[in-house]
Amino acid sequence: MHIPDGYLSPQTCGALGVAMVPVWATAASRVRRVVTRRFVPGLAVAAAFSFLVMMFNIPVPGGTTAHAVGAVLIAVLLGPWAAVIAVSIALAIQALFFGDGGVLSFGANAFNMAFVMPFVGYGVYRVVAGSTPVDARRRALAAGLGGYVGLNVAALAAAVEFGVQPTWFHTADGTPLYAPFHLAQTVPAMAIAHLLVAGLAEFAVTAGVVAYLQRANPALLTINHHAVAPAAGMAGVEGPVWWVRWRWAVIGLGVMVLATPIGLLAPGGAFGEDAPGDLDLGRYGLRAVPEGLSRYNGFWSHTLLGDYGFGEGQNATVGYLVSAVVGIAVIGVVVAAAVGLVRLLRRRTEPSAVPDEAMVG
Amino acid sequence: MSSSVEGRRPLLRVAGVSFSYLGRFAALDDVKLSIHEGESVALLGANGCGKSTLLKVLDGLVFPDAGTYRAFGEEITERSLEDDQLNRAFRGRVGFVFQNADAQVFSPTVREEVAFGPLNLGLDRGDAEERVHDVLELLDIAELADRAPYQLSGGQKKRVAIASVLVMNPEVILFDEPTAALDPRSTRWLVELLGELRRAGKTIVIATHDLERLPAMADRSVVIDEAHRVVRDGPTAEVLDDRELLEGANLADQA
Amino acid sequence: MSTAGREAPAWLLRPEPGLCSCGCVGRRRRGSFLDKTLRGTTVALARVLFDDDEAERDLPLQRVDPAVKIVAAALLLLAAALVHHVVVLVALSLALLGLAAGCGVPAGRLARRVWFTVPAFTAVVVVPATFSFVTPGEVVLPLGTWFGHPVGLTRQGLTAALLLVARVGACLTVALSLTMTTRWDRLLGGARRLGVPRAIVMVASMAFRYLCTLLETVTDLFTARKARTVNPSDATEGRRFVAASAGTVFGASHHLATEVHEAMIARGYTGEPRTLARARVRRVDALWFLGALAAATLALGVDRVVLG
Repeated sequence: MHIPDGYLSPQTCGALGVAMVPVWATAASRVRRVVTRRFVPGLAVAAAFSFLVMMFNIPVPGGTTAHAVGAVLIAVLLGPWAAVIAVSIALAIQALFFGDGGVLSFGANAFNMAFVMPFVGYGVYRVVAGSTPVDARRRALAAGLGGYVGLNVAALAAAVEFGVQPTWFHTADGTPLYAPFHLAQTVPAMAIAHLLVAGLAEFAVTAGVVAYLQRANPALLTINHHAVAPAAGMAGVEGPVWWVRWRWAVIGLGVMVLATPIGLLAPGGAFGEDAPGDLDLGRYGLRAVPEGLSRYNGFWSHTLLGDYGFGEGQNATVGYLVSAVVGIAVIGVVVAAAVGLVRLLRRRTEPSAVPDEAMVG
Repeated sequence: MSSSVEGRRPLLRVAGVSFSYLGRFAALDDVKLSIHEGESVALLGANGCGKSTLLKVLDGLVFPDAGTYRAFGEEITERSLEDDQLNRAFRGRVGFVFQNADAQVFSPTVREEVAFGPLNLGLDRGDAEERVHDVLELLDIAELADRAPYQLSGGQKKRVAIASVLVMNPEVILFDEPTAALDPRSTRWLVELLGELRRAGKTIVIATHDLERLPAMADRSVVIDEAHRVVRDGPTAEVLDDRELLEGANLADQA
Repeated sequence: MSTAGREAPAWLLRPEPGLCSCGCVGRRRRGSFLDKTLRGTTVALARVLFDDDEAERDLPLQRVDPAVKIVAAALLLLAAALVHHVVVLVALSLALLGLAAGCGVPAGRLARRVWFTVPAFTAVVVVPATFSFVTPGEVVLPLGTWFGHPVGLTRQGLTAALLLVARVGACLTVALSLTMTTRWDRLLGGARRLGVPRAIVMVASMAFRYLCTLLETVTDLFTARKARTVNPSDATEGRRFVAASAGTVFGASHHLATEVHEAMIARGYTGEPRTLARARVRRVDALWFLGALAAATLALGVDRVVLG
């Protein structure tokens, strides 16, 4: 899923790069706040590990290849902020030495694989694992599931980034300047490769390594699990995790996302959402479209997924689902960023450090 | 060699120190130890008794769960080493030669490897280059200066590792199992080097279970048993005579 | 034979060729894609990452301060990304190759590394984009009709494909020429001076060192497994092995990583990469930067003003 240079316009690269700067800064400050240089070697190993995982390209029907990333595994073992740094570094090495993933588009690749993936995957993991003990089988499965979901959401983000290029960046005669494939083509292509092939590999690696460590080296699993019930025989701290309480809300949201296409079946439009041209003026006693309405209606015409579908109404169901997921993802990212910013500012004014708190998201 | 410590100031002081890895794997249990200027001390014990851990405590790489450690009068904790000035002073005065030379030689060339320490401690580049040259000559590895360390043999790597520590001119040098994995000639060379360092006034602390070479390396021996406690602290000759003690600590087997 | 009073088990004392009763020792099996990837990766990785020969030579290209080199490369990349005409991109790539050749860097090797990887892959992937049902427009090479509409390769599609490949190639040339002429730790030093946080630079430099070690460990694990595997097609066991080796590699490397880190801290390391090389901005650096700026401006100027 590495996006090479040249596929994304500088504007897209710039926007995503700018979005990543506060993420990197927060991750770096978290690493330093935890004080110990203790975590640095672990992070370096994690980066090298992620690099290797990404080098294993799995052939996908259609002639391309897909690969796992390992970001969620790192998030489970060392925390999502550690994953941000480790995967970013792996991507940097690949971009600079192998041209695998561009240098200008580094921000975009980092956004997808070093930010979206570990946080989404880690969230899924925490929700599904709940408060089970460190060596519970469910925890390994939860980690695998987190990896699967995280990878696919990242792939979706990449597909969207590709797909909007020809619509937004083209010459006067319609020649696409950067990636030439539209959303309707990129999303299914990336989805198939990652839902069916790469995602399974990610699941296997993540769940497998966690399961192996549960047997062979459970101590490694405790670095990032302070409030989790320990394995039998280990000293640890017990406590309820807020993900458990919110789990039902998240599951509910998920169900609703899947149910959104039902909206396509309902005849007629929702009340109050008609475009000015479709208004039944007579019914409201008007003779012309109110001036303000017509002036401001077209304001936000640059919508990403206009009418919740791709242009010309193709693949409406997919369009709906994509819109739902993208919408929630964007909201989630914005909320997380806002929370992070508030915390950062608050921390600046209160210099008390909490030692020993691992890089938990 | 006199082993009396009267009149010699204590440089390193460990008091009541206990440590466990990850909170459950015990490594040190209520250890008390003082190292005086100019001494040569051996930490004796079987594998896993905690002597490497104790060395790491002495070098401020690992911080005890209980007890205190003072070096040159300053208390050494994770927090106190955050102060750049104290950190630099401490690192310049205590050197550590690790058991695994591979972990210690990580720079692209031998020259850079040896220069790593002085540069980090803020030495001027010109001065650093001079010192590097001098130390390489001293240890007879000047012709290896531009080679990559990972290509060298075990004995050569060890020399590079020692060079990289000596170049900082520390007052105290810690060695973790220095003779392990060395061939006989290199071992002889190392023991001779230790003698020269002692004559130059350096304080030496060696973790080892090589009883054969022990008398030539250290005047004082501290025995740590498998329960991670200090069971004996005295002149090397006396310790080596106490057969029962050695067997109890798994340093010798029934003849 | 016996150790510490315990007798060796009977099976250890008997000769047993290859653990298989049918005696099929040494029968060759086709390698899985994992084996192939591993073999290819090890060689490629070692060559690319540690082939410092070019980075070591004392030529103008290598003597420029790495921070300046990074900024210059970024300028050129930006120019390449904003250019709209294939001609300008090709000219930029050729100029860079020429400069490399003039400075003693084997241009042939650079060109091969650039053009045999991503652009080749891109060209294949982008072929469908030349067709009219992907990129609508003026059909230049008709291939038939579909319900009355002409279908074939469009001018826009062909231009887009060519533009993409040329752009990818130009950007890669810039990036790879940077890394082929600058050693990794110097590059990190440059990045640090440009403001990258210390923690990240620390981790990146260690990660680089570990790549080869990790790869060796993984290869050893796989070779050891191959030496004991009787039935290679057991998928479950295969998956479990991959997970187990990944876990072992992670754990063992973590141990080594901690040791190296301790060795560095013990010698005063606090995260600032320092090398014996000088770090002042000199005339060479200023010239390099201005040269890059001029090239970028020229490229954009020709692209927008001359070619429209």
